Amino acid sequence: MVSQQSPSLHTVTAPPFWHCGRTVTGDMYRLLVALVPAALLGVYRFGYDALTVLAVAGLTAVITEALIQRLMEQSPSAHDFTALADGILLAFLLPATAPWWLVVVGSAVTIILGRMVFGGFGGSPVCAPAVGWCVLTVSWPAYMDLNGMLLRWDLVEPLSELKYFGVEAISGISLSSLVFGQNLGALGASQAGLVLAAGVALLCMGQIRWYIPVSYLAGVFGTALIYWLIDPQLYASPLFHLLAGTTMFTAFFLLPYPSASPVFRIPMILFGLMAGALTILIRVYGIYPDGAPFAVLLANLCTPLLDLIQPKPFGGR
Amino acid sequence: MKKLSTATPLSDSIRSIPAPQRVRIALGRGHTPAVKRKQVVGKGQVLAETTSSGPFGVGFVHATIDGIVEDILPEAIIIGPIPSPGEGKEAPVPERPGRAEHKNLADEALVRWLREMGIDTSRFHPSRTVVVNGLNPEPGAFLSEQLLRDERATLDAGINLLERAVRPGNVHLVVARGSGYGLHGAHVVEADPQYPSTLDALVAVTATGSENPEATDVISVADLYRVGRVATTGLPLTEAVLTVEGHAVRVPTGTPIVEVLDALGVQVPAGATVALGGPMTGEAISSLDIGVPENCTAITIVPPGRYPQVGPNPCINCGECVLVCPARIQPGMLSRYAEFALFEETRPRHIAACVECGMCTYVCPANRPVLQYIRLAKHKLEEQDAFVATCRLQDE
Ligand code: SF4
Ligand code: SF4
Repeated sequence: MVSQQSPSLHTVTAPPFWHCGRTVTGDMYRLLVALVPAALLGVYRFGYDALTVLAVAGLTAVITEALIQRLMEQSPSAHDFTALADGILLAFLLPATAPWWLVVVGSAVTIILGRMVFGGFGGSPVCAPAVGWCVLTVSWPAYMDLNGMLLRWDLVEPLSELKYFGVEAISGISLSSLVFGQNLGALGASQAGLVLAAGVALLCMGQIRWYIPVSYLAGVFGTALIYWLIDPQLYASPLFHLLAGTTMFTAFFLLPYPSASPVFRIPMILFGLMAGALTILIRVYGIYPDGAPFAVLLANLCTPLLDLIQPKPFGGR
Repeated sequence: MKKLSTATPLSDSIRSIPAPQRVRIALGRGHTPAVKRKQVVGKGQVLAETTSSGPFGVGFVHATIDGIVEDILPEAIIIGPIPSPGEGKEAPVPERPGRAEHKNLADEALVRWLREMGIDTSRFHPSRTVVVNGLNPEPGAFLSEQLLRDERATLDAGINLLERAVRPGNVHLVVARGSGYGLHGAHVVEADPQYPSTLDALVAVTATGSENPEATDVISVADLYRVGRVATTGLPLTEAVLTVEGHAVRVPTGTPIVEVLDALGVQVPAGATVALGGPMTGEAISSLDIGVPENCTAITIVPPGRYPQVGPNPCINCGECVLVCPARIQPGMLSRYAEFALFEETRPRHIAACVECGMCTYVCPANRPVLQYIRLAKHKLEEQDAFVATCRLQDE
């Protein structure tokens, strides 16, 4: 009998032979696509400037990574979209009218200090876009001041209002206007509703896990609730904190940054709760209106400690 | 993460295929050939005996077709067709052994008999709890449920014989929820057929509730079926039952894989991975000419390019592997230590707990060979331990 099998070489590898099909490139692609609606709304609200910021931030990130990789004699990895994603994430945190040089510096810092000094994507113990944002905020506070930068619009930035003028100043800001991003705020991160939708979409695709976002939002809500119960005349309502500023964006896009967040379940939940509480503490006592990215970095520092809380291995007594 | 269910539609029946002309019967390290080259052998005749004589261990090897011993290799015996005799000579008649009785045997004598009939008895121990893993162990490999549905009588005969041979304390059968399968005298436990909970180590947990079950042996339905087959026929074990791409098939042990695939009309695309066993723990083969081993329960074919290529990519520390690891260890971290040859570091991080389910590699978005690194580390640690042990012996 003549065999039907074509004489051919077979691929011999070690098991498992199946894979779930996820790749870093695919993940980053989905992340970027998920952010498109929020970015479009940002461009719609803040005009052409917003598009420039997005483009400059993305491009600078990719170019910076390529240059540093050449210096470090690493193989280029622009094709996996991780640098582009970091640049876009940073752009989401910036005022739409940020000058180009600020964007370039921020994006370069994101890549250099946020990841290349640690060896590249996946090696960094901190959330890279949060690093970029913090460096810019500390170095050029005037250019990062959302109220000041967006004077062109006859609107207010909710968290700055709260910080400088108290709870009464925000009484006119409805929750729905926060959901639909109808106030001043960071380019994309202020589109709370669409950012939440993007996060939930990624959650449903199994790309991000619920542990960190949910516990973070719970941490924000719980801590804000405590203050609010103490004195509602002095402190904003927990729902306001959930929707204002970069809370939603932090929950789904900054805090679960893969290499900088814990990996075990209980540590992830503690990590989220902690970052949530820190966010409110910084908003209440700090000198900056929105401290979410600071809270992210502080929580990142605790990741190795939190990951020491490990379950017993299989069969362990 | 997509769930990996092992629930699979079964084949209508277990098919047989035309007997092969030539078989290649694998030998283990503990086997010594009992035949010579050019010897005429009958189906069921002993080809190789085992070097150890105790009741528990690998089984004897038998001829699975009538034929002539064409070659004796260290790893296999090849039996081919008997050449036609010259003019005026009589064709040699292969002798097949007759039915052997086991009615009067019990305990060790019966175990030894099983061994002589070709059953690997190393998994059995006297007076222990026996857990029969009635779940399909891996996605796509459905022999367990096929046998539970179609071969109930043989399986019951297997249980009866085991009861006389090893007198198990309890017999548990773990089956998929709602499947309704049962076995004579077995306590049925239902479980979700979700990989990797379908692997023996985790099925033992389902059945006994303990991760360190005392005195417990886990056997597969196929193991039990082989015992039952020998018990009902009284003949040595000469066949393997396996599933291939949705078919269930019964073949003489040693049938070249290519003939099995041809008979079933299964095409292997160029460059595909062909593996003995399931897609998660199987063993890839380089040639389709090798014979079906006796304990083979599935052939898995993975076309090239279906999945992202696994390669030495850096770990992005995402923790996906940690979330799916049934051993509750950090596969990503362990694989990084192995990657940089820091094998000793993996010991205090519980590398020994790994059950080699492969979920870590399956889910890794960076497409790292996570389990492969872990296996490397395990292997290196074993080597080191062996080396240390030899040094100690020399010192004494
Ligand atoms: S899944 Fe892969 S990339 Fe993620 S932590 Fe595990 S080994 Fe690293
Ligand atoms: S193979 Fe990977 S997932 Fe499975 S037990 Fe071992 S380390 Fe854990």
